[in-house]
Amino acid sequence: MHIEADQEKCVGAGQCVMAAPELFDQRDSDGVVEVLVSDPADSQAAQAREAELTCPAAAITVTAT
Amino acid sequence: MTTTEDRRLPFPRPNILELAPLYEALRREAPVVAVTTPAGDPAWLVTRFDEVKQLLGDKRFGRSHPAPEQASKINRAAVLEGPSGNYETEAADHSRMRRLLTPAFSAKRMNRLSGDVQALVDGCIDRMVAAHDTDPVVDLHALLALPMPIGVICALLGVPEEDAPLFRDLSDRMGTASGADAHAAREEFGRYVTRLAEAKRANPGQDVISDLVAAQAADETFGYAEMTRLAVGLIFAGHETTVNRIGLGVLFLMTRRQHWDDLVADPSRVNATVEEIMRLGAPGDLGLVRYAHEDVSVAGVDIARGDALVLSINAANRDPGEYGAAEEFDPDRPERAHLGFGHGAHFCIGASLARVELRTVFATLARRLPDLRPAAELDELDVRTGHITGGVTTLPVTW
Repeated sequence: MHIEADQEKCVGAGQCVMAAPELFDQRDSDGVVEVLVSDPADSQAAQAREAELTCPAAAITVTAT
Repeated sequence: MTTTEDRRLPFPRPNILELAPLYEALRREAPVVAVTTPAGDPAWLVTRFDEVKQLLGDKRFGRSHPAPEQASKINRAAVLEGPSGNYETEAADHSRMRRLLTPAFSAKRMNRLSGDVQALVDGCIDRMVAAHDTDPVVDLHALLALPMPIGVICALLGVPEEDAPLFRDLSDRMGTASGADAHAAREEFGRYVTRLAEAKRANPGQDVISDLVAAQAADETFGYAEMTRLAVGLIFAGHETTVNRIGLGVLFLMTRRQHWDDLVADPSRVNATVEEIMRLGAPGDLGLVRYAHEDVSVAGVDIARGDALVLSINAANRDPGEYGAAEEFDPDRPERAHLGFGHGAHFCIGASLARVELRTVFATLARRLPDLRPAAELDELDVRTGHITGGVTTLPVTW
């Protein structure tokens, strides 16, 4: 699976970091999302989907590969 | 169905954990409906999950009003009572605020605070245990729900803890729909944060108020009044909301004993339990307020530029179109998303902080006081019905 994050849409809520701290981070300067692992293992799929679902800005897209 | 006068907010609720039955009918039959606000002005009440979520993310709606003196008022409190901010600069002001504050409230930083939060929670529970030695009935509100979030927000914002009784009183009065006294409290709050800001300017610390003061000094478009408005908002929202949510969470778990027992048996259930407390807990009787910045049609209803909307988070979070057995407290439900922290650009900046606080409180209560039980009936509790964030004033428990 593949993760994309739209930094323009991001509102810095940090939901993704709470849901999947191994996959996402927030930039120190402004709290905007950074993807740490863009092609996560299958075992991390549930975390990635939860981050996608709970993002208040719909800035995260998770696609099957 | 009902007339607009019947649909005057707030709708009376059976108790602090349930909503007015009218919300269910409105969601089904009139998800965008004309109502009268507690202040007596017209507004649209939005009750379904899909529309509430859509509107929270829609840039054609804002907190400001193109002609604020003509805007519908919501209530007689001095916070969230009507339009706020400047119509021309709302988007830019909001972006600057998020840019400035988001790093201080980032999920990573909040997770790093969890040790400090744990120490505060343990200190509060130590005092509950000590009080229990002399009187078996202990006030969880006064000894845990109130002091813990106040301790956290004081440390984060750089507010002296000895000022807590003062800002607590001001927050309480400012959020009470009383008119003149609410506005007097807001002005006094403004003078208090001005003194605090000037003390930080003279002697800056590693805290959010010091950051705000420095940012305001460096940016000529960032007005002094806007800075004090933000500081008041952070102190108010930084404790009011969490205090109430702890009380609501305890009441949900104490009246649904199986879920408390499940949490005691398996502390890893705490995250899902907290999310369910965020979904079902319904502080206050209104919702988030927006003003239309252009003419928009929503669910077949024409909304004109300048109209007020009350987006009922409480009703949306119990929408059977979104959640199976929506009224049931069920941490194991498959639907994980909710609107308890809002949605879109104004999503609660303190959400990660609140989660760290709530997870720590409920995990620690379950571990240290597994036999916790209420010492008063639900309908005996004093509920702050005239206050915009609701909540109880005492919460007697025993074990």
